[in-house]
Amino acid sequence: MKIGVVRFPGTNCDRDVYKWLQDQGHQPQFYWHEDLFSSQEVEALVLPGGFSFGDYLRSGAVAARSPIMNSVKEVANQGKPVLGICNGFQILCEAGLLPGALIPNSGGEFIDDWAELKSPSTKQLIQLPIAHGDGRYFIHEEDRKKLWDQNQVWWQYTQMLNGSVDQIAGVTNLSGNVRGLMPHPERAYQDWMGGIDGWKFWI
Amino acid sequence: MEILDLTLDKTLQEKLKKYRLRISEYELMKNLLKREPRSIEWALFSALWSEHCSYKSSKIHLKKFAWKHPRVLTAEGENAGVVDLGENERIAFKMESHNHPSFIEPFHGAATGVGGILRDIFTMGARPIAIADYLCFGEAEAPRMKTLMKRVVKGISYYGNCVGVPTVTGATYAMPEYNQNILVNAFALGLFENNRKVTVSSAQGIGNLVVYVGAKTGSDGVHGASMASEAFTEDMESKRPTVQIGDPFYEKLLIEACLEILDQDLVVAMQDMGAAGLTSSSFEMASKGKVGLRLQLDQVPLRDSRLGPEEILLSESQERMLLVCEPSKLEAIQKVFAHWGLESTPIGQVVAGREIELLWKNEILTKIDPDLLVENAPMYQRPYSKLKIKNEIQYPGKKPTSDSKKWIYRQYDQRVGLRTMQEAGHPVALVRLESGRALSIALGCRPWLMKQDPVVGAYDTIFEPSIKMVCSGAWPVAITDCLNFGNPENPEIMSEFVASVEAIAHSARLWDAPVISGNVSFYNETEGQSIPSTPATGVVGLKQKNSFPVHDYFVKENLKVVTISLDEPQNFDPEKIVKSAKTLFELIEKGRVSSARLITEKGLQHTLDMMSIQNFKCNITFEVNFKSLYNVVLAFESQFENEIKNTFPDHFIVQGQTVPSSVPFDLSAKIIQFSKTWGVS
Repeated sequence: MKIGVVRFPGTNCDRDVYKWLQDQGHQPQFYWHEDLFSSQEVEALVLPGGFSFGDYLRSGAVAARSPIMNSVKEVANQGKPVLGICNGFQILCEAGLLPGALIPNSGGEFIDDWAELKSPSTKQLIQLPIAHGDGRYFIHEEDRKKLWDQNQVWWQYTQMLNGSVDQIAGVTNLSGNVRGLMPHPERAYQDWMGGIDGWKFWI
Repeated sequence: MEILDLTLDKTLQEKLKKYRLRISEYELMKNLLKREPRSIEWALFSALWSEHCSYKSSKIHLKKFAWKHPRVLTAEGENAGVVDLGENERIAFKMESHNHPSFIEPFHGAATGVGGILRDIFTMGARPIAIADYLCFGEAEAPRMKTLMKRVVKGISYYGNCVGVPTVTGATYAMPEYNQNILVNAFALGLFENNRKVTVSSAQGIGNLVVYVGAKTGSDGVHGASMASEAFTEDMESKRPTVQIGDPFYEKLLIEACLEILDQDLVVAMQDMGAAGLTSSSFEMASKGKVGLRLQLDQVPLRDSRLGPEEILLSESQERMLLVCEPSKLEAIQKVFAHWGLESTPIGQVVAGREIELLWKNEILTKIDPDLLVENAPMYQRPYSKLKIKNEIQYPGKKPTSDSKKWIYRQYDQRVGLRTMQEAGHPVALVRLESGRALSIALGCRPWLMKQDPVVGAYDTIFEPSIKMVCSGAWPVAITDCLNFGNPENPEIMSEFVASVEAIAHSARLWDAPVISGNVSFYNETEGQSIPSTPATGVVGLKQKNSFPVHDYFVKENLKVVTISLDEPQNFDPEKIVKSAKTLFELIEKGRVSSARLITEKGLQHTLDMMSIQNFKCNITFEVNFKSLYNVVLAFESQFENEIKNTFPDHFIVQGQTVPSSVPFDLSAKIIQFSKTWGVS
């Protein structure tokens, strides 16, 4: 698949995501935040992790308002798969493409660890690394119910790590093509990385 | 401190105090210039002759590290040495102290320590791929200490995580001796990807442009270098403005932009602006290139328009670099920097002759030969005496380290970059290279051992990390050091310094791992109270591709478990220890060993516990009071028992076997064999 990888100033998992996609047989292509591109150019998009615009203001807030997001929205509206990892997830929430918001961890500290995740629909359990300071998923009560009713909870932590509402680690949009999660699947796809649950994790 | 001559006139006395220079240094300055120094020259000499920049107390001893090794590529004096690992893989690494700033302002002090060491690496053309930290704190009950620990860790986490370089390992000690002087040493390692050539820092080519890139200059860090070369007094608050503020987001952009212009071959020379900022970078570039420079200081981009030439010269604002390029390449460079949202401003030219001309709004402030400051800096042969090995090592009764470091490394991104095979919870980090080989990284220096025996302690700064590395199946390839000491004018401290340098230099030869870079931090003392000598090291080793797997924990049941010693009790013999380590390494290379782990000062029981994290444990457990330093737990298949026993005939102590974690310990088990010199408790 031809998959766009969107880079903002401060994105730092871009090269990792590129490699992850390439090693799984895809054709990744970088896009820069100032560029607009035609949605025809790609079959899917990834917004990698990092600290876009230094996470100044709020994580993902500045990136969500940069020119390229118009192209990202176009791809999303066409129903093509769009994945936000970590800071990418924060950007998709800030851009209104995913519900909810990500706020500072309840402990106030950055957390780097392996986390066990559970899929509420399939009950599948997987292990992925996490590395975030603002990974606490927040959503208002009425929207929280909707999220569950509409099967939009993608992954949950099996343990409380960062204060997320319902231990939510990842969500999808209503139609399911736009997805975001805080853990890093691209950091767990070879044995030497300590786990392989990130292999063929998404598409 | 030298006592000021009261007969000196008051203005001279004030100047000497302000610029932290001695009367003898002022005389030398006058002799070199053949006249009275102008006001701007006072500032230049102050910065470049600071202990921090000139290594004036240490230089004559550091020559002992010089060693032409076939693996090492760089000439002396570059930012860091380059190690050629073969298979088209080259690395650069270095370690640097940020002790004084971190004690004054822990968050920004530690953060900029990381930022500074990263710039030392990418200024050479290597992409930083790993960070490690060596930290010494005081007792938790000491004033400010809990805050200092928390904020230092947060500062490292803030900078390293944002800039996207994983922090993969470290060492942390806590002892009352560091109550008034904490140590924050940052290590960074970079890889020359895409066959990128090693960038030099010597200015070349008359008519070439001097270009300032990165962040604007502010007043932060003015006089930072000379501050860092001074002992603390009670007046610490007043030094806060000498601490720099870092911006990792800016650094991330700077890394990408700098590596891009290097890949496009647009640069003649590049140098980061570290200690003493623009002064040291420009003077060193000119001195190394044996050329002159004309610098228009009024062209330097400023954050605060009130700054004058002296502040511009001495500012230690972060995330700035100086580069030299051909005039025709300027446009292409500016395009790359603009893409990354960064400024790049020509501020001068390379000129004929050997002088640096500093201009301020068309007025010449000074015209001076950089070698007067760089090459003719004072060198002191401080008094010292020769130290010998005492051979009276005792493990500390009280644990010198906190129980778990997890609260620290959990705050560091350890996996960004997709190279981390083994992260901070392990004795050594393993960082994967494209060839499938792995770098092993470990930091050394156990201050409690330095305190007991500075000679053994200094050897141990290389031996402990190297033996840990051997247990991981890697052999050391090169070393960096960060020598933290008290006041070099104290002969006792100077003696420990000289002994440390000699022990490290000797160790480097024994392990065949040259010292490729380093840093000296003196004056780690407050109100006359000095730190224990702490020569921290960073050892980097190489693990071959497809080598037999060896783990630092038990991986299956029915393996034999023994402990062996690589040294004799109370008889520290460096040659013998390295020989034993080599023997162990060969066993591991032949695939005879399933698990190996060095027993730390926390004891055998603790080591066995640490090896039991993955479903298997040793069926017996007890404590041994080792009198030797390097004791290793090995687990292996029973078919290799004879071979291993014959290799280390006198060194078996415990003999057990691995069992599933759920099986109770065998309390009736006997120790099969142990040397009479080891005590069992």
